[in-house]
Order: sequence, then C-alpha cells, then structure tokens
Amino acid sequence: MTTRERTVVLFVALGAAGIFSAALRAQAPRTVWDGVYTEEQAKRGAVLFDKECAQCHGPSGAGGSMAPALTGQAFSANYDGNSVGDLFDRNRTTMPPGKEGQIEAPDNAAITAFMLQANAFPAGETELPSQSMMLKSIKYLAEKP
Amino acid sequence: MPRPVKRMTLAPALLIAIFALTELSPRVSGQTAAPGFPSKANGEWSSYNSDIKGSRYMPFDQINASNFNQLEVAFRLKTDNLGPRPEYKLEGTPLMVKGTLYMTAGTRRSVVALNAKTGELKWVYGMDEGRRAEMAPRVLSGRGLSYWTDGKGDERIIYVTIGYRLVQLNAKNGQPIANFGKGGVVDLKEGVVYGKLVNGKWQQVQIPLVEGEIGTNSTPLVAGDTIVVQSAMAEGLRYEYTNNSKGLVRAYDVRSGKQIWRFDMMPGPGEFGHETWENGSWNWTGNTGVWTEMSADLEAGLVYLPGESPTIDAYGGNRPGNGLFAESLVAVDLKTGKRRWHQQVVHHGIWDYDLPGAPLLMDVTIDGKPRKIVGQPSKQGWLYTFDRITGEPVWPMPEKAVPQSDVPGEKSSPTQPFPSKPPVFSRNYLATDDVIDFTPELRATALQNLKKYRWEQTPFVPYVIPNDKVLGSIQVGNTMGGVNWPGSSFNPETGIFYTQANNSSVSGATLSHEYFEKIRPENNPNHIAIWEAPGFAQPGFEAPSTSGYRAPSAGGGGGGGGGANPLTAGLGGLPIIKPPYGVITALDMNSGTLKWQVPHGDTPDAVRNSPLLKGMNIPKTGQQGIVGVVLTKSLVIVGDPQMTASPDRPRGAMLRAYDQQTGQEVGAVWMPAPQSGNPMTYMLDGRQYIIVAVGGGIYTSEYIVFALPQSQLRITTER
Repeated sequence: MTTRERTVVLFVALGAAGIFSAALRAQAPRTVWDGVYTEEQAKRGAVLFDKECAQCHGPSGAGGSMAPALTGQAFSANYDGNSVGDLFDRNRTTMPPGKEGQIEAPDNAAITAFMLQANAFPAGETELPSQSMMLKSIKYLAEKP
Repeated sequence: MPRPVKRMTLAPALLIAIFALTELSPRVSGQTAAPGFPSKANGEWSSYNSDIKGSRYMPFDQINASNFNQLEVAFRLKTDNLGPRPEYKLEGTPLMVKGTLYMTAGTRRSVVALNAKTGELKWVYGMDEGRRAEMAPRVLSGRGLSYWTDGKGDERIIYVTIGYRLVQLNAKNGQPIANFGKGGVVDLKEGVVYGKLVNGKWQQVQIPLVEGEIGTNSTPLVAGDTIVVQSAMAEGLRYEYTNNSKGLVRAYDVRSGKQIWRFDMMPGPGEFGHETWENGSWNWTGNTGVWTEMSADLEAGLVYLPGESPTIDAYGGNRPGNGLFAESLVAVDLKTGKRRWHQQVVHHGIWDYDLPGAPLLMDVTIDGKPRKIVGQPSKQGWLYTFDRITGEPVWPMPEKAVPQSDVPGEKSSPTQPFPSKPPVFSRNYLATDDVIDFTPELRATALQNLKKYRWEQTPFVPYVIPNDKVLGSIQVGNTMGGVNWPGSSFNPETGIFYTQANNSSVSGATLSHEYFEKIRPENNPNHIAIWEAPGFAQPGFEAPSTSGYRAPSAGGGGGGGGGANPLTAGLGGLPIIKPPYGVITALDMNSGTLKWQVPHGDTPDAVRNSPLLKGMNIPKTGQQGIVGVVLTKSLVIVGDPQMTASPDRPRGAMLRAYDQQTGQEVGAVWMPAPQSGNPMTYMLDGRQYIIVAVGGGIYTSEYIVFALPQSQLRITTER
C-alpha cells in the first residue's frame, strides 16, 4: 500500500467513524440543551416575535394581562417533558389569534428558536427545522439533564 | 337503601333555608328565594360571581375538610370542537340554574347548555362573525354569560360575542330571542366613538363596525330587568397610537334590548371631570373602559364601575392631567346612569394599574356600626375600601407624595392615595427584605443586579428610558401583580374577604428609545387610531411593531439562568424576589386587618430542582399566577396556576381547599392542567358539585366537574 493509498484508507476510515458517530448522535435523544437552533435564527425570530406575538405576550414574551408569559417557570412547566414539536405546533395551529396557520413554517421555526433563546436554552450550529414531525424528536426539558 | 338519599338532601336544604331567610332580600335577581327566580337556597349559581355583589360565596358544606380529598370527576367537557380551532385559555365560569349548566366555551365563544347532573349536551349556540371577530381585541371564549328570568317561565341567556354584539338566547333551547334588539342581537359597536381630526377640527365619530377596536371578555351584568354592558380595548401597555375608542358603559332593557342610558367613562365638554383631561387631550385619547366584571346594589340602586387606564398605559405625555374616570371606581344610578360618586385610586396612571376585578359589596360591622362598604381589589395589592353609598373611604386614605417621572413630556401626579387599612394582600413593591436570600451569594448577585435599576420602596416607581446607568425601574404591582380578572371573594356570614394574588411579578419597566420616539407628543401631531394606520385593513397588515417597551420577566427563567435579562442574571433561573410567589390572603373586613396569608401552589419545578438550592430545605413557595377562588361555608377552593411535576404525584396541578378560619390546606385533588377559569359550585338533588376550567401549554381547555362519590355521600349522611 502506497502512502497515498494509506491516506485514502485512513480518510475512509475516519469518514466512516464520523458517519458512525453522527449516526450515534442522531440516535441519542436530543434535548433543548443540545444547541438545537442558531443565534442567527433566533435573531430573525426576535423580529418576527415583535411583529406577530409581542402585542399580546409582551416584549421578549414577558406576558400581559390577556396573554401568558412565554418565559419563566409557568411556561417551562407547561412544556417540560414534551417536545419542541409540541411548542412549534402550538404556535403553528393556534397563533396569532385570527392569523392561525398563516405564518410560514420557516418563520414559525425562527419564532420557536427565539422562544428557546428567551428561555435561556443554548444556541448551536444547526438551525431548528421547520417540520413539526422532526421537532417531535427534540425533547423540551426545563432543567439541564 | 332509598332512605339515605332523602336524608342526605335534608341537612344542606335546612342550612340553605336559614341562610335565605337571613341573607337575602326579595327581588334581587340571582339571590331571591321568590318562586320562579333562581336562588342560592336552591343551590343555583345564577350570575358570574354567584351574585351581583361579587361574593363568589355559596353556603354549602357537603364538600368539606373531611372529604375534599375524596372528590371524583362527575363529568367533563372538552371544548376543542366548539370553534374553528382548540382553545388553551378557557376563562369561563358556568352558571347553574334549574338543573342546567350554561357556559361559554371554545374559540368561537359558543354558548353551551348541559344537564348539570350528567353533563349531557342540551344545546349549543355560536355566531360566526368572520373578520369582525378576527379583528377583535378580546378574543377566545370569554368569562361566561348571564341569566335573566321574569319568574314566570321566560328564561334568557345573555352574552357578548367576540365581535362585541349583545346576544340574547332562549335558555331552554338556545334560540335567539326574536324581539330583543334585531333578531336577538344588539350591535354594541354602534354608538362607540373615537376622536378624529376632520378639516382641522376635532370630532367624535362612530368607530368602524369591523375594524373599530372594542370588545369584552367579561359578562354583562344583569341587575333586575337591566343589562349593563362594559367595554374593553386591546392590551394597552404597548399601544403606540394616541387615539382609541372611548370607553363607555351602557344599560339596556332586558326585554327589548333598547338602550336605557350610557355613561361615558371620559366625560365630554361641560360634564363633570372633563377638565381633568388637560391640553385638549380628551379629544383624541381613548380606552378608559371597564374591562372587568361590575357589581350592583339593587337596594341602593347603584352600579359600580371599575375603570381602565387611558390610551397608552405606560406613558401619559399625550394625556396630561388626572384623566377621570380612568383607574377610578364610579358608582352610577342603575335607573339613569348618572354618576353618584367616584374615587380615582390612581391619578394619571402610568403603571397599568387599571381596576382588574369585580368590586365586592360587603355588609360588615366596623367599630360597632353596621356598614355597607365596597372593596375594590387591585393589581397593586390594595383593597381600596369605600362606603358604598357615600363613596367616602372607610379608613383613612391619605394622598402621599410619590416619585416623579423623568421621561420627557410626562407630568406624573405628585401624590397618590395610600389606603391605611386593610393591609396589602400581596406585595406592591420590592422591599429590600424581600430580595432573594436562599444563599448569601444569590442575594449579593441580586442586589448587584438591582443597582442597574431605579428601585424605590413604593408601588409608584415610574417607567424610565434606559441610559448608561439605569436599565429600567423595578415594579411588582404592574400588569400581572396582585389581583387580575379572576377577582376576589367575600363571605357575607363572617365578613372575611379572600383572594388569591400574585406576589412576585417583578419587572424592570422600560420605555425604549425606539418606542418613546413613536409615542412622544412631538411625533404625534395628527393623533390617529390603529385602524387609521396605513394598510391596516388590508390582509397581511402586521400589528404595530412592539419593539419599544421592554419589561423582561424576572419571574425566573425556564432554563439555565433567566435568559439575557440583566435583572435575573446569575440567579440560575430563580426569581429575584423571595417566596411566597403566590398567596391566598384573608382580610377581616370588620376590622380591616389581616386574618391570614398562606402560599398557594406547589413549589415550581424550576425552584425545587434548582442546582443552586441542592441540599437545602425550601418550604412550600407557592406559585406566581392569577387564579380566582370560590367560597363555601367553610372552605376557600382554588386551583394551582402552574403545572408542576411534584415527586409524589403525576405532572399536573391541584385543586386545593383551605380552611377559611386558619388558612390551613385541608384537601387537594389532582387536575391534568392548571386552573384557567374561576371555579364555581352548585347543589343539585342533594349533591354538591364543583366545576373548574383548566388548560394551557399543550393541554387544550376543558371544564371538569367534581363531586363526592355517591357511596361517600351515603356514608356521610347515614352517620
């Protein structure tokens, strides 16, 4: 085996290991503590949140007298143990009142990302997907596991 | 075994009969024991607060401290299909009259009638209002409905739709009453006005019937043969237009729907109080409605109206002056709508301290004298108490100097009324002693954070525009503090007032530069309403950008550290304020003193599981939130405002019972979701029921009805 061939084999092996470990990662249940959205996505979500949600839910989701806070103990307790998909679907199917279902899925994902950020869950390298079925696999855990 | 059932009904019936003789005056709708009219003596809950005095009290004792834990679900109503989509925020309290439960439910605000014994559906009514409902400021199922009867078999259900229409239905079959208004409907938007500059002159013109912003989530008040209807606008804290619909209260003849009177909450030219809107600000300013429940004293012929804040809650630069009857309790004549007296409890409001719950009409004995008083619960922890005939404060309520605003153009009131009695039922400022102190480190961090805020020992710290040194001002009363729409309650037999209250709603109140630029007077020479904004009526119009006012919640982060909120930075998601986070408070209204106060709700998961508190023994903290109570003979009954996963039970929330004398928790039953609407109780064929609305988060709304098992009833009565 030439040096070049050895290098190729090594690369292939490394690549396989990489794929394998990625597969392992994919199999392990992810949670909101695993950096499931990006800063950039949350930034976009913040702008959308301001336009679509903050009128009732207050700035940064602090809550108003008509609409509950979207940060803090009470909010997190509602979703604790459920999935980001549940949160995404709640936004998708019921919000904002009178405009339900009218927010595009990527925008809804950005708003959801902002809500995760507002609740102090860490950002990561990949964006939150905009399909609720995929989001069902990301667990919402109020406390860091 | 048939005998025990009969005996079972005897004891409560006797009790109630005694109550009826001593407590109830004839011809009082909803309370009279006259034949044909509903009464508590018959076990009936016939108006939102059980009676039009706001008591939420029923003299039953079948469910008591000894058996509360044995409660089981009698039936339930899931509301998902009562509207185009499921609801998660059901705030309703049903009525029970003559064996039928009436309630609003679902995102269409449908009216539902159920068999009160079995839950079987009798009828449903809903009105599809299309775009008018989509544009409405007060959506979803609302708090409920009202009942009227002539005592001779004519029974009607009355409610206000999402699109602000007053509707009357035949209670027996849900059909609109044809000769009430037009086919059972009175269009409440007709007659509502707002200020508009027409050819350089201010005029008060009719609001547009579709886009015009007005509505209500509250129930119309049926007082005798009169229906009194309130008015509410959108959430006002972040509103960036200086104009809006002008708040008003109107009375209608219960039979015809004809308007009897109207009371403008913002008095017009020549009317008493008009001059309190300085610099012509009456012309454009709106809101100042009555968004919550009202009360009435039929004997005195008075209706009590709790007033809202004027347009732009947190900034008054466009509306100088005290602004009557904003944040005032107004007593008007039930027959004429003429003002009898008023008390403004917050002058020139800039804190969103509008009056949030029904005024409570209480007959008590103070200093040996029988007194008829009215207590107005508030977000700022005070029960403002007045003689309900004269309007004079029952206990001294001096005007005291308060801190002044430094926001440009703001002319804050130099003084505010401070009730000397009763003591606050919840915190209304962040006292130095109330800052988090689980550990010295946490306290030090919190005090360090607070240095960046305008923090004073008073409920009246004005908003600030942030600068290098000050990020905001510290408020506790604010929008979510103290009591909100669920209101409070009163036991007329003991003279004790009971309420749940939010004790921990700390915020850093800020008017951002961006927001302030939009609302400052110099930039609003033309004063428009939101529906006049360019593009408003077109599809795709977005609500005004609300990037302005910033009040990050300090109630604790859900995750690792309270987010980017500088107020709670470093506190690991814990609230900056000490427990109890939420309380039940009992005030003896004969003496104006605190009887007891206890935390309400399990310790939130975020606190119980906090790594910063590991190994520490934290006593029950109670929960932040706003929920209403119901009183029986001996119990205060109320559900948790939050979900928790306490170690001893499945994830959920508890419906709890407290002893009225001691505040001791005497029982609790599990619910799948927190209380979202005030519970009520009724008695039917010898069995007492408790019904409560639950939901939130991912749990869609439902009504759950609890009762003691039949077997338990037999044992109790045979003994």
